[in-house]
Amino acid sequence: MVKIRRAYEALFLGLFLFFLLITDLRYLKGWPVSIFLEATPLVAVSTALTTHTLYRNLVWGLVIIAITMMLGRVWCNWMCPFGILHHIFGVIGNRRNTKQMIEVNRYRKIYALKYYILAAMLAMASLWIVPATLSTPGKIHEAYQSKELTQTGASRVFAAIGTGVGNALEESKAGNSTLQIGLLDPIALTVRSMTTSVLPTAQKATESIYTEPREYWQAWIVGLIFIGLLVANWWIPRFFCRALCPLGALLGVFSRFSLWRIDRDPVRCTDCDLCLKSCEGASDPHTDLRKSECFVCLNCIEDCPHDALSYRFLPRKASEVTYPAVGRRQLMMAGLFGVLFFPMARLSGGVKKNFNRAVIRPPGSVAEDEFLRRCIKCDQCIRVCPTNVLQPSMFEGGVEGLWTPIMISKMGWCELNCTLCSQVCPTGAIREISIAEKLGVGPFETHGPIKTGTAFYNRGRCLPWAMDTDCVVCEEVCPVSPKAIFTRNVELTDRWGGKLELKRPFIDPDRCIGCGICEHECPVKDDPAVYVTAIGETRDKSRSLLLSLVEDDAQDLISV
Amino acid sequence: MSEKLTRTQVKNLERLGGVNPADESFSRRQFITQAGGTGLVVGGALAAGMLVRDRWGMEGVKPPPPVRLKDYSVALNPSKPNLVVVRSSPPNADNFSSREEELQAREEQAFKMIHAALNAMGGDQGIAQFITKGDVVVVKPNVAFDKNPDLAATTQPDTVSAVVKLCFGAGARKVIVADNPINNPESCFFKTKVGEAAIRAGAELMMPQDSYFEQLYVGGETITHTWRMFYRPFREATKVIGISPVKDHNLCKATVTMKNWYGLLGNPRNQFHQNIHGIISDFALMMKPTFVIADGRKLLMRNGPTGGSLNDVKRGDTIVVGTDCTAVDSWCVKNLLDKQRHEIIYLDKVIQRGLGKDWRPQWTQELTV
Repeated sequence: MVKIRRAYEALFLGLFLFFLLITDLRYLKGWPVSIFLEATPLVAVSTALTTHTLYRNLVWGLVIIAITMMLGRVWCNWMCPFGILHHIFGVIGNRRNTKQMIEVNRYRKIYALKYYILAAMLAMASLWIVPATLSTPGKIHEAYQSKELTQTGASRVFAAIGTGVGNALEESKAGNSTLQIGLLDPIALTVRSMTTSVLPTAQKATESIYTEPREYWQAWIVGLIFIGLLVANWWIPRFFCRALCPLGALLGVFSRFSLWRIDRDPVRCTDCDLCLKSCEGASDPHTDLRKSECFVCLNCIEDCPHDALSYRFLPRKASEVTYPAVGRRQLMMAGLFGVLFFPMARLSGGVKKNFNRAVIRPPGSVAEDEFLRRCIKCDQCIRVCPTNVLQPSMFEGGVEGLWTPIMISKMGWCELNCTLCSQVCPTGAIREISIAEKLGVGPFETHGPIKTGTAFYNRGRCLPWAMDTDCVVCEEVCPVSPKAIFTRNVELTDRWGGKLELKRPFIDPDRCIGCGICEHECPVKDDPAVYVTAIGETRDKSRSLLLSLVEDDAQDLISV
Repeated sequence: MSEKLTRTQVKNLERLGGVNPADESFSRRQFITQAGGTGLVVGGALAAGMLVRDRWGMEGVKPPPPVRLKDYSVALNPSKPNLVVVRSSPPNADNFSSREEELQAREEQAFKMIHAALNAMGGDQGIAQFITKGDVVVVKPNVAFDKNPDLAATTQPDTVSAVVKLCFGAGARKVIVADNPINNPESCFFKTKVGEAAIRAGAELMMPQDSYFEQLYVGGETITHTWRMFYRPFREATKVIGISPVKDHNLCKATVTMKNWYGLLGNPRNQFHQNIHGIISDFALMMKPTFVIADGRKLLMRNGPTGGSLNDVKRGDTIVVGTDCTAVDSWCVKNLLDKQRHEIIYLDKVIQRGLGKDWRPQWTQELTV
């Protein structure tokens, strides 16, 4: 069985790396490159909490949930690419002998930490339950009184309850939760680390991953964390999986229902503890198995010299530890931390009042509050972006926005006829859009194009405005037609008395879509004379600039 | 177990009383409870997931269902005027021993004037034509700025308290005084003294909170679909009264009763200045009030809408009450503010769209009390 498991590990890790490498304009085609991100149940469960829906392909997470509920945490050792990487690192760096391996694989209390992390993150995602509960009675009453319900009597009561609860949930959703699981979700973390740190480094060595070198802003932090977690396997095997992984914690809770588990024959067992030698999950197979910790790696079965262990269907309930060993008080404190930290983070001003001009989101993004409830910081969009303009933000979007994608137009620009980022986003933070919707043509003619921001001139730095020098590269590269940059001719006398004719550029805010190619091509490369800021973006009415652009039908397609 | 047991294993078997618990298979009961339980949970999880599935990915951009404002207007007897101009000399400040008494007298004067106007418009029924027993009335004054009422930039507090008392006298169940000011709400209601006047008269003062705003369907020319609006006061309202001052306005030349509804808009309403006459004409579509009062006892003749100097204020000694904002505005602009009617572009827009009628002398009555 161990051989089969190894084959699956190679298969899934290979599949993951394959998908990662083809997430590129040249190779993407129709491949389901986001399947690992969509299959992780943590994303499905937490986005269901923050958005009250399951976005498109996230139903794959239900498959993994079903498998876990029947077989246990098979994901962790058979399918999870990060887990498989940890496994490999633990094996190749192993310098311990058998006795030391047995000791290091015993269960430790610190492994309960992942449940507290999960509790805090889910609490941050569920704060809306409080206002929803408080407003539900009022909403039910309102629905009962309203003229829209046609039933009478008892069925009217039921219909009113249904409508009232639905309305209360709908109203309480906005501004009352945040999605932070992406910080530690293993797939999101791996894709993010690979995208921003590992692959650019590999490019330096092999020059075969991208067409030109890529740079990702402050990604050394991401890379350092990634390497640190992998190297931690040499201190405690599977350290991340056992102690930190919130997905592991969630699957540990689900595996409470599993019908199969490792079972120990108490007669055959001679208490030699050799089963612990290669135990991946530190699940104590030598006594009562901790079901929530077992990775179903099946190593213990082969290590036992007396064949005392087997993977058994419906073994005795008495010889297992069904529930994770968490302290109730600590769990409550963790939840309380989540409940308190989210409002502190959100009300620090970065999302509504002092919103940062540098938070220019990819085209197709939903409004900021909804974005922070959907983005899992997987940086898949950053991976696929062909021009290197999408970058992982630090704290520009507030503390909740860490590693969410923003456009830094100095480093790239948003290609006009490209919607790749929206095609790979697994959670709908960037809603999948068509080229027609992005450009505002065809059926989207009345709506107009999607704008991610507006460009402005810094006339003190612009060559024709401040330095008597011809330029207007910005006008040349502006991709829309008619262009969003127009020029006016001036005639003046230069400092030596000669006649000078210059074209001076202006922005037409009605036409500008905020793509940033003008900023990227501006020759004043250190601090561009034309720069894009987030105002004027169409995804949020409150960030609009011109009235004429706000009052179209499609501009109502924003979330509250 | 077919192979031979080692000595340790024999000891284990003895310790367990000769029977190996791992030998027995699961019972039927365990199968049904455990397998059945797991099956139920798995089925439940799958069902719950498919129920909330967002197949097309559009849930993130779904707009909230809009609310609509009701039509709060009342039908008048065609023989009665729909616009009444009431003139009255203000009480002489020297006749009173204290400021409070003078203010009390001013409030009584406002009460008398509006009462006379409503009687003239209501005919046999008088005020009952407009406010009936059990009504929930929303009074919308202009408290946009935190200025002293003598500067005539905001609605006079005594007018507000007079109207509130009138409503309660006619049998209203609840009167709500609400506005969404430009300056800070607490400052505005306090410094204009409207807050205190409203509470003293028994009304409920409603300040704009974030959750009090909802998407309102307008479907006009400037607001083509919906806009965020201070809707909470109107949830249970049956009648709406607008009370506005009569002011000069830098951008739209005059602001009287129709522009008063701007105070209900939510952010980013600062963008409508890019098309100010368009948005004001949309108010005529958005709001059909029961009646409006243009308080012309003090007029802001210059430097509106904020004013700021007593030199800009002129005594008008007039209150205009009417059911059509267009007619009231038109009369006030010409006769109180001394402006040219054709300067006020939004009035032309409203009349052109058929949302209001200009004032006609035959539908107007002038009184003196």
